[in-house]
Parts: sequence; C-alpha cells; structure tokens
Amino acid sequence: MEILKISKEDFNSFIDEKRTASAPLEGPGDSISGHAEKWKTIGVVKKGANFVFAELNSAAELCLDYDVTVLPPKKYFLPPKETLLKFIPKKAESYAAVNHPGPIALIGVHHYDLAAIHLMDRAFSEGERDEHYMKRRENSVLIGIYPTKHYKYRFSSSVIRGQFRKAADIMLVAMNGFFVVEILTEKGKNYLQGAELQENDFSLADIEAAANKIKDDQKIPLPIELVPEFLEKNHDHSAWDYFGGKCFSCASCVLVCPTCYCFDVRDEVDLTLEAGKRVRTWDSCMLEDFALTGEGFNFRAGRGARFRHRIYRKGKHLFEKYGYFGCVGCGRCAGSCTAGIAGPVKVLKYMLEHKQ
Amino acid sequence: MDKERGNTQKKRNSSLYLPEVATLINKREMTPDDSFFEFQLKNRSLGHLPGQFAEISVPGIGEAPISISSPPSKSRKFEMVIRRVGSVTGALHALKVGDSAGIRGPFGAAFPMAALKGRNLLFISGGIGLVPARSAILYALEHRQDYKDIIILFGCREPAQRLFTDALAQWQKREDIIFHESVDRTNGAPWHGNVGVITTLLPKLGKVNPVDTYAIVVGPPVMYKYVIMGLHDMDFSDDHIILSLERRMKCGVGKCGHCQMNDKYVCRDGPVFNYDRIKHLQEAI
Ligand SMILES: Cc1cc2nc3c(=O)[nH]c(=O)nc-3n(C[C@H](O)[C@H](O)[C@H](O)COP(=O)(O)OP(=O)(O)OC[C@H]3O[C@@H](n4cnc5c(N)ncnc54)[C@H](O)[C@@H]3O)c2cc1C
Ligand code: SF4
Ligand code: SF4
Ligand code: FES
Repeated sequence: MEILKISKEDFNSFIDEKRTASAPLEGPGDSISGHAEKWKTIGVVKKGANFVFAELNSAAELCLDYDVTVLPPKKYFLPPKETLLKFIPKKAESYAAVNHPGPIALIGVHHYDLAAIHLMDRAFSEGERDEHYMKRRENSVLIGIYPTKHYKYRFSSSVIRGQFRKAADIMLVAMNGFFVVEILTEKGKNYLQGAELQENDFSLADIEAAANKIKDDQKIPLPIELVPEFLEKNHDHSAWDYFGGKCFSCASCVLVCPTCYCFDVRDEVDLTLEAGKRVRTWDSCMLEDFALTGEGFNFRAGRGARFRHRIYRKGKHLFEKYGYFGCVGCGRCAGSCTAGIAGPVKVLKYMLEHKQ
Repeated sequence: MDKERGNTQKKRNSSLYLPEVATLINKREMTPDDSFFEFQLKNRSLGHLPGQFAEISVPGIGEAPISISSPPSKSRKFEMVIRRVGSVTGALHALKVGDSAGIRGPFGAAFPMAALKGRNLLFISGGIGLVPARSAILYALEHRQDYKDIIILFGCREPAQRLFTDALAQWQKREDIIFHESVDRTNGAPWHGNVGVITTLLPKLGKVNPVDTYAIVVGPPVMYKYVIMGLHDMDFSDDHIILSLERRMKCGVGKCGHCQMNDKYVCRDGPVFNYDRIKHLQEAI
C-alpha cells in the first residue's frame, strides 16, 4: 500500500502508547464489539542466550535484531492449550463455545514465520472454518521484519517466496536508526494511526538490499517444485530406516515448527466436578500413539514411518494442498533435535546421496 | 465415481466443535461389549447418507467418531452401535434412556449409492464393520428395485459376537437377496453355519459378474488385504471395490491430522474410498 519510515525511538514510544491504548471498536476484525479492550503487545525479547516472543512491559525490551526465536509465534493463534468449549459434566445441554480473543499485536515476526502463519490461515479457514483460530487472527496485527542476523540452520530463501506478505499487515526494514515501514493492509494502517511516520527517502534499491542483506548458510538441495515427486518416488528409501533408527520420538521437531498444527482434543473437569472444559492441545505425529485406534491398530507404529510422514507432510502433502512448501526453512527443528537429524535439508541431502 | 455427502453440519458461527444435543431414546445390549443406541436430535434430523459418521460426546469424558448405522430414512431418530473399548465408549455405554449426549456431524464421504444404481451389490462385512455397512444395506433394501442382485456376506469371530441377530435372521430368509454368514470359530456355542474367515464365503457365491458388481467392504484392518485378494481372484477390478476405513480421529473436519493416511484425511476424503483411488497409498491397507 504505502512505504514510509519512522525513527526507532519514535517507533518505540508509539508502541508504548499503543500498549496502554484501547483497540478501536471497529477493528481489527469484527469480533471486538461492545467494549474496547487493551492491545496485548507481543514482541521479540531476549531471554538468557535466546530470543522469545513475549508480552512487552516496555518497548525498550524489544529486540528486533535477532537470529531466531525458540518457539514460533503460532502459539498466539493456536495456543499450546486452549479451551474450545465449557460445559457442566454429563449435561450435554450445557455445551457452550469459548471464543473471545482480545486484540493483539505481534512485533518483529520474521518473514518465514509470516509465511507459516499464512499456511495456517489457509488450513484453518478452508473447508470447515475454525473460528477459534480465525478470530484470533482477525483480532491480530502482524508487524513483520526481515532477518538481520544469521541463524546457522536457516534456509528460508530456498523454500519461501512472497507469500509472507499475505499474512503481514506491516513489514519493517531496519535501516540505520530507522525502520522503513511498508503498510500492507488496512488493519496495519489503522494500527499505525498516530505514529510519527515520515516520508520515506531511502531508495527502493537500498531498502531491497537491506531486506535481503542476510544470506542463508543452507538451502534445500533441489528446487522445491521437484520435492513432491522426489518424495513420491522414495517412499521405500533407506533414509526412513536410517533416521527412524536415530529418532527418539521426542517430538521437539514438531513442537518448535511453525507449520505443524496437529492437535488433540480432550475434556477436563474441575475438582468440584461442577464445571468442565473441552481443550485442544498441541499434538505430534512423531509420538507413537498419534495414529493408534480403538482396537489397537496403528498404521504408523514405526519411528521411521513417523519420521517419513513428517517430512512428507512438509515436502509433499501441504505443498500439493496449498501450493506452498510446507516447511518455511526456519531451521528450528534442526536446531532443537538432540539426535541431530530433524532438519529437512539434512534429510533431503541424505536421500540424494544414498540413492535407495 | 464422485463422493456423496449429506448436509454437513449447519454452519456454526461460534465453533466448529460445538455439539448439538441428542437424546438417547432407545438402547439395548447386542453382545457383552456392543450396545445399540437410538438418538434423536433436538431440532432437526441428522440428514446423513449411508456410510457417514458423527462425533458423539459425553461432557467431561470426551468425543469419539461413531458410524451412523441407520439408513437416511431413519435420520430423525438415528441409530448407532457402540463397542466399549475405552473411556468415551464406556461413558456412552453408561447412558440411560432419556440421557443426552453431544453430536457433531454428519461427517465424511458416503457410499456412492446413487451411482451404484442398476448394479449388483456385494456387501462384505466383518465384525463391527456391519454397523456402517448396515446403513447402506438397509438403504439398498429400501430401494430394492434400484439394484440388481444384492449379496450380503457377514463374518465375525464367534457366534456370541454376532450383531443385529434379528436382521441377520430376516436376511437369511429373504428370497430376493443372497446372504451368507460365517464365524472364525464356534468357541463351543451351538452353530450350524459356516466356520472360517470371511473370505471362505466367496467361493460359495459361484459366478459373480465382476463387471456389473460393486463390492462394499467394511471390517477390521486385517480383513481388507485378504478380501481384496479374494475379489481379485473373482476378477473384480480395483474400481469396483469400495472400502470404509477406520483411523484415529479427533476433529472430524480435516484439521487435527490424526486420521491422515499419506495425503488423505480419512475424516473428510473418506472414510469411504474407492480402492482404486487409495491402493497406491502405503499407509492405506
Ligand atoms: C469413522 C469411524 C467410525 C467408527 N464407527 C464406530 C462404530 O460404529 N462403533 C464403534 O463402537 N466404534 C466405532 N469407531 C471406533 C471408535 O471411534 C473408537 O473405539 C473410540 O473413539 C474409542 O474411544 P474411547 O474413548 O472409548 O477409547 P480411549 O479410552 O480413548 O482409548 C481406547 C483405545 O482407543 C483408541 N482411540 C482413542 N481415540 C480414538 C479415536 N478417536 N478413534 C479411534 N481410536 C481411538 C486409543 O488409542 C486406545 O487404544 C469408529 C471410528 C471411526 C474413525
Ligand atoms: S527427529 Fe529429532 S526432534 Fe524429532 S522426534 Fe526425532 S529425535 Fe526428536
Ligand atoms: S520443518 Fe523445521 S525448518 Fe521447516 S518450518 Fe518446521 S521447524 Fe522450520
Ligand atoms: S479427524 Fe482430524 S483431521 Fe481427520
């Protein structure tokens, strides 16, 4: 829509104002009605040696010059545990949906995490629309940023294209003391009302160069378009036994992945036994009983088969379904796997090097 | 052959996961582990097609996918048979007539009954597979003139496991259908019929025209491979074999990932599949 700029100090003081301001009644989204609510402002902050997304107590905590966050921002839209319904135990008449997300702003989301959010948006809006996820998304403003630091496992340039712009409301490019602000949606524009935005005087070429300044150390070893067919042909590749034999089935790779959204649903009852809720929690296809059925049948019982499923889901199934590679190349799985095997780059390289 | 679908659940603005209330109006034990349930929704009829399923829940215990066993003509008061295997199915078994449960659905692709018009139907049901198959069998019997030969084969582990014994006795008597039954073993119970796995019934059928006949196969996971081999021996082509598969399911609407089989979501793309469309999937059979 438009390109402007703001000094970093002005940006921070604007965020601090916003943190204590109320969200306007008319937006974002349609579900903030009746009363105004405070923006919940989330940003990237430093925690020990790592970076995490966390609620800001002050814009001064913001740390937008970062390599990668431990967890992706999906937790704000698909929380590790969320209540879907409330009820009184044994009374089916009492089921009631729980879905009142407040307005939330996320600051400093890297482009690959935005690409992952766009994939989740597709998954939760297409077919049967999941209002729990979609309301959270409607009530959110996403302020993206291009990476300014290396992360040794990242390979996003080889797997994402421009789809991250479909999730972002605003993109920032850090340029000596300023952020170049690209406003991509009406929601983003509304959010920035009152900010000390200035006319942009950086050249587009300089902005482009700054946005792409960090080059990935890694890349997928074949063009993504070829991956689905390559996987299709290699269902019985020795890689699955090889990696299955090393995998601990710990599910870390799924936990940290921005495009893993499988979930479990179960009921919880208060100690009083008078109230209960149906909750949805993150689940993982790497766990042994993920596909176990009532009479003990499990068609994905082996670790190799589960490892393969995770890779196929990223490189083939989601790609064929949504037209975007199901892995955004954040590298978190590679970084978090104790066995050192989870990264798609490593897996595809192994497959290419060991034909069958 | 295109998938058939019933009215999927009414659009629910608040939540995809919000069940409607159904009242248990009739219940009886069929075997020590399997009970028959008849439910009625408060404000509407379920509107399902043969072979679809619903998510049924007991608040405080959880939700489980269960096939709808009655034909669409019995949709206002619909029927299920539930085997007690764990917590939700256990809690459902504890319900009494007049109690309520939550229902979401109907979900999934149905048996292509309309497309099968004018053909012979060969139903092959193993054990609890008779429950989903029954919705299609009863539909076909209600529309008897729409189909040519109707052959029903049913097999279960032992006589005590037989479901819908009244219906089985009726089918045995009917002149306008062919019915054969078998048990894997008698286990000491009085039994005068066939003994042996369900595939031992296939040679008893004599000549079945494989071009004009569609096989509808529902049973435990181990059964499919052997039945498909038997059908191949009878010259059935893969696109004349229709299966209904069971997988672990949570959401029923293609989101949670539990039911995924290669790239297919059994809850949405199935549970009914044409074998021709899934035979290349390593995770299918
Ligand atoms: C499309 C479909 C139709 C079905 N139709 C029928 C039917 O008509 N009658 C019938 O009795 N059963 C049917 N089932 C099986 C039934 O859904 C499971 O037996 C039930 O979900 C088990 O839940 P539970 O809470 O009683 O068991 P749990 O206490 O959860 O666990 C007992 C066992 O069941 C497994 N399990 C847990 N959740 C599921 C799940 N959602 N799906 C499968 N297995 C699960 C567990 O891994 C465990 O091994 C059907 C399943 C599917 C997918
Ligand atoms: S691949 Fe690595 S992170 Fe993933 S489950 Fe196996 S050991 Fe854990
Ligand atoms: S598979 Fe690994 S690299 Fe790809 S998006 Fe998931 S965590 Fe990131
Ligand atoms: S049951 Fe959740 S995706 Fe099929």
